[in-house]
Amino acid sequence: MNLNLIIIITTAVALVAYLVSKVNDKAGAAMTVVGSLFALIAVFLLRDSIGTEITLLYFNFNLTVTGWYFALVMLMAYSMTAFFNPFWMKKLIYPAGYNFLYLLSMAGTLGVFFAKDFITLFVFWETVVWSSAFIIQMGKSRQAAYVYYVISAIGSMATLFAIMFAYGTTGTFVINDAFGGLAAYPGRAIVIFVTFIAAGMAKIGIFPFHVWLPFAHGSAPHTFSPVLSGGLVKMGAFVALLSVTAFPAYKIFGGMASFRGIPLPIYFMMALGAISIVVGTLMAIKQEDAKKLLAYSSVANGGYILIGLLMLDQVGFAGGLMHIVNHAVASAAAFLSIAAVAYRTGTTKMSEMGGMIHRMPITYVVYLIAIISMAGIPPMGGFVSKWLIFQGLADKGLLFIAATAFFGSIGSFLYVFRPLSAVFLGQTFTRDLNKKEVGVFMLFPMVVLTLLSLLTGIFPNIFLRVVTEIQTSLGVLPVTLAENTIVTNNGFLDAFKVFIVFGFGFAIAFVLFIARRKSRRVELMDTYTSAEFIHTRELLHYSHSFYAPFERLYEKAPDTMKLYHKAAVKISEIGNFAEAIFFGIKPARTVLLVMGTVLIGIIAGGVLS
Amino acid sequence: MNAMNFIYAFLMLVFVFIFQTSLTGFNRKVTARLQKRYGARWYQQFLDIFKAMRKDSTTHGWVFDFGVIMALGGIMATVIFIPVAGFRAFPGTDNVFVISYLLAVGMLGMAMSAAGSGNPWASIGVGRALTNMLAYDIPLMIVIFTMIFAFDSASVGELAKMQQGMGILGWNAFRMPLGGIVAVIALMGMLGKKPFDSFIAPAEIASGPMVEYGGKHLGFMFILHEFMTFIEVSLIINLFFGGGATIWEYMLKYAVLYTFTNIVSGVMPRFKIDQAVKYFYRVPLAMAIIQGIVVIFTGLGVTIWF
Amino acid sequence: MVLDKKDTRNIWEKIGDYFSANSIWMKWYCTGCGAIEMPPTMTSRFDMERLGMGPMATPRQADVLLITGYLSTKTLRRVIYSYEQMNSPRYIVGFGSCTINGGIYYDSYATINQLDKYLPVDLYIAGCMPRPEAIMNGFAALIEMIKKGEANGWRHYQENYEWYKKNQLESLGEVIINDEFHE
Ligand code: SF4
Repeated sequence: MNLNLIIIITTAVALVAYLVSKVNDKAGAAMTVVGSLFALIAVFLLRDSIGTEITLLYFNFNLTVTGWYFALVMLMAYSMTAFFNPFWMKKLIYPAGYNFLYLLSMAGTLGVFFAKDFITLFVFWETVVWSSAFIIQMGKSRQAAYVYYVISAIGSMATLFAIMFAYGTTGTFVINDAFGGLAAYPGRAIVIFVTFIAAGMAKIGIFPFHVWLPFAHGSAPHTFSPVLSGGLVKMGAFVALLSVTAFPAYKIFGGMASFRGIPLPIYFMMALGAISIVVGTLMAIKQEDAKKLLAYSSVANGGYILIGLLMLDQVGFAGGLMHIVNHAVASAAAFLSIAAVAYRTGTTKMSEMGGMIHRMPITYVVYLIAIISMAGIPPMGGFVSKWLIFQGLADKGLLFIAATAFFGSIGSFLYVFRPLSAVFLGQTFTRDLNKKEVGVFMLFPMVVLTLLSLLTGIFPNIFLRVVTEIQTSLGVLPVTLAENTIVTNNGFLDAFKVFIVFGFGFAIAFVLFIARRKSRRVELMDTYTSAEFIHTRELLHYSHSFYAPFERLYEKAPDTMKLYHKAAVKISEIGNFAEAIFFGIKPARTVLLVMGTVLIGIIAGGVLS
Repeated sequence: MNAMNFIYAFLMLVFVFIFQTSLTGFNRKVTARLQKRYGARWYQQFLDIFKAMRKDSTTHGWVFDFGVIMALGGIMATVIFIPVAGFRAFPGTDNVFVISYLLAVGMLGMAMSAAGSGNPWASIGVGRALTNMLAYDIPLMIVIFTMIFAFDSASVGELAKMQQGMGILGWNAFRMPLGGIVAVIALMGMLGKKPFDSFIAPAEIASGPMVEYGGKHLGFMFILHEFMTFIEVSLIINLFFGGGATIWEYMLKYAVLYTFTNIVSGVMPRFKIDQAVKYFYRVPLAMAIIQGIVVIFTGLGVTIWF
Repeated sequence: MVLDKKDTRNIWEKIGDYFSANSIWMKWYCTGCGAIEMPPTMTSRFDMERLGMGPMATPRQADVLLITGYLSTKTLRRVIYSYEQMNSPRYIVGFGSCTINGGIYYDSYATINQLDKYLPVDLYIAGCMPRPEAIMNGFAALIEMIKKGEANGWRHYQENYEWYKKNQLESLGEVIINDEFHE
């Protein structure tokens, strides 16, 4: 099996899924499961052929270990989410189109990760953007698709510009050569660097491009959100990676002014990552919709990934790469569990449900493990990658970025706890008292992702070995790994030992707990209410404006989307003004006026010179 | 990692429990004296805990129990990682990030169980506690970050050892004076001492997260609180006050610092939670950043300055 | 209740009772006039913390429920609710003559006269209102009772639940409730 075949077969399966869905949409959705699982396994088996190059029509692919790593993460998100697809067919307007685009965008991402030249990269990139834009607009609102598309288009145009400019400068489309040849032109290199990375930042959702994430997630079909956040966002990380490795940013900007060893253009990008951590965290804290909250958390985590990748050093870079896996797994699991809840209750608004743990305990555990990982608490994977990023930052002494990283990491405790307490804990609403756990078919992917979260946390070295390979292939000093230990300049981490000690503590507590007499089970409503009798479950559930005192502190902060709206209004005013002049009541007069002005200008210029 | 480590770990837990609980009892006496009372017996805290463990209890479902176990388990695991006067039950695991984030497991367990009781007061309390954490942790983490950068080590035990043998001025609290002040203020926040105790305000939100606990659950919460206090005070002692060359020195420093926070707490009113956030983001955060800039850009404080 | 003079507790129960006696957490139900007597009992003049006693926020945490004065039928419901939320062993202390026989409200249509018809009272502190000295004495007596294993009201309540329930329903009457706004 080679890459060409995989891409061709998945595309073919996409077409078949389209046709089958016309007859029976559930069968078509099952095709997406088959197609994505096939791609996952097939790409996994490509491990042996890493380093080879291959051509499909006029697309050139280069099987790098980096691409392989990213592709696996992406396909993992796609294939696990696909298990949810059959259950959502009824809720979609165009089930056939959804199934088709789902697989098509998946095939597209493969092309992006293995692209050898810019043309391949760009074509496949656009395939993904377009197909996902069409999926997003199948959800609640069209505006979401607009925003997504506009932001993506800004990124794409910037990339196209960067590609053309690089081509004009170095005369080749092959990624490594085109960027490698830029060292002689540092001035142009800055422009190319900034414009090229823009597409990646737009995809990761880095400030100021972060606005599309909550919109898209707020309204995309619940089954597509895990893919968006767990997978597609990581495509942006890939571009960011290219812009520091294929584009040897540290080499090219090496001679420029730098801040603690980081050249200013790169530091500026890292600062944007830091800003998105803060903005993402603050916005996530005040969301009332579970999916929007998780979307903003993706913004914050994207910031971590960007900072990690841009450091391009031994430790922080490894952290960034590993965070891609961890965040993909955790956020896909979190989105899936929210989707499972939404499947039963029909809503993702946190104030409209509660106490689902008593109805859906497994979903709860999935969400719990996912957020432990997302918040970077041991013994889950997210901790290891955040630890690496912190160590990298401490090595370099990047104080301000570290401060935001800490803010984001403590802040994440706040926002991940909200759905936990509002959706799963607290009082069960009367409406939901007879709800049941979702079926095995939907539980399976969630449980798999949960186990993956645990695996990344307890044996991170399995994943970090691949990361070291990537680092070696990119010519970076790889992070030092001992048997179970990760060694850095500032100390080492033995994740397995941490897990064992945690287990030890838990065991003692457990023994102590069951040694004492069994407790009396009481009703959830039998709770301390200052001896007041309350009979309405909904009123005993505290979920609205959870952090109200904290939110009050920054409620006056400007909303980016509002600023964009203002800018849009201003621009359209300018447009109207121009329109009024040029297409006013008497266009002929305006034309005369303009021509006259130009004529006078020309004559005046002639006279003056 | 062999059986000996686990035995040491267990003995350490027992020691920490006895030491910290007696100290809490002693501090209840100190607080009483501040208020011109006679106060409880020094072993009152033990009686309270054992009494609570003795009583019957009520539960609100499995997450209520599970959260309590997870909380105590996570906190006890964190205690095992704390280096005490050079002693470590599991050598080489005292990374400062591991300690401060493993602590979060316990807190998450507690928050989970509290919210799982279905009581709105508990949720409000947890919300406040988390906000409080966001407030005090950032300045503290910045100072700790600075320290890791300055001494090239994130191991709590090693950072403590580096300060020893140079007299009192070798302590980080004096090498980085602003950082030391931030650390003590943050410690007050961590311990939930006044003025930062709005999340357990008993008269206002019926003791917040603790509202539904009774019997053994409450006993667990008290034990957990003792352990948590130990972790937090130990972190500050190790990082800023030179740890201890001997266990006696360590215990003495510990007792002094802990009693100091109690005395301050005894004469303080209470901040509202947003006031606490504002306070931490104004004074301590600024001090932490100034300290960071001074250390990272001038190197003052890395080398002793006399 | 019939007092069994023979001590039938085993050693663990004795130890348990020792802990219970020396660490009493109170939840006071501040009806009537008695609430005002509590602050002086707690603060520096009388300092009840010496006895290991202290206030607690919720009935779940508390060991002893203080009924500090008369109970109207409306508040009786709340008191019963609170008492049933407490974890055993749990004790009740009735303050003042109002809880004993109705005191000056003996002929009121709105109050109950005799608390121990509705809840098992372990100890009464007589007076109208009892002063802090009396309260301290009462608490010392309660501690002795618990230590000796004589404060068994909660067992009595379990065993004679039917009887208590009947009395409670009689005085409360039937209450039809739809939600918390309509009683
Ligand atoms: S006994 Fe006297 S002081 Fe107590 S409540 Fe009755 S009337 Fe008031």
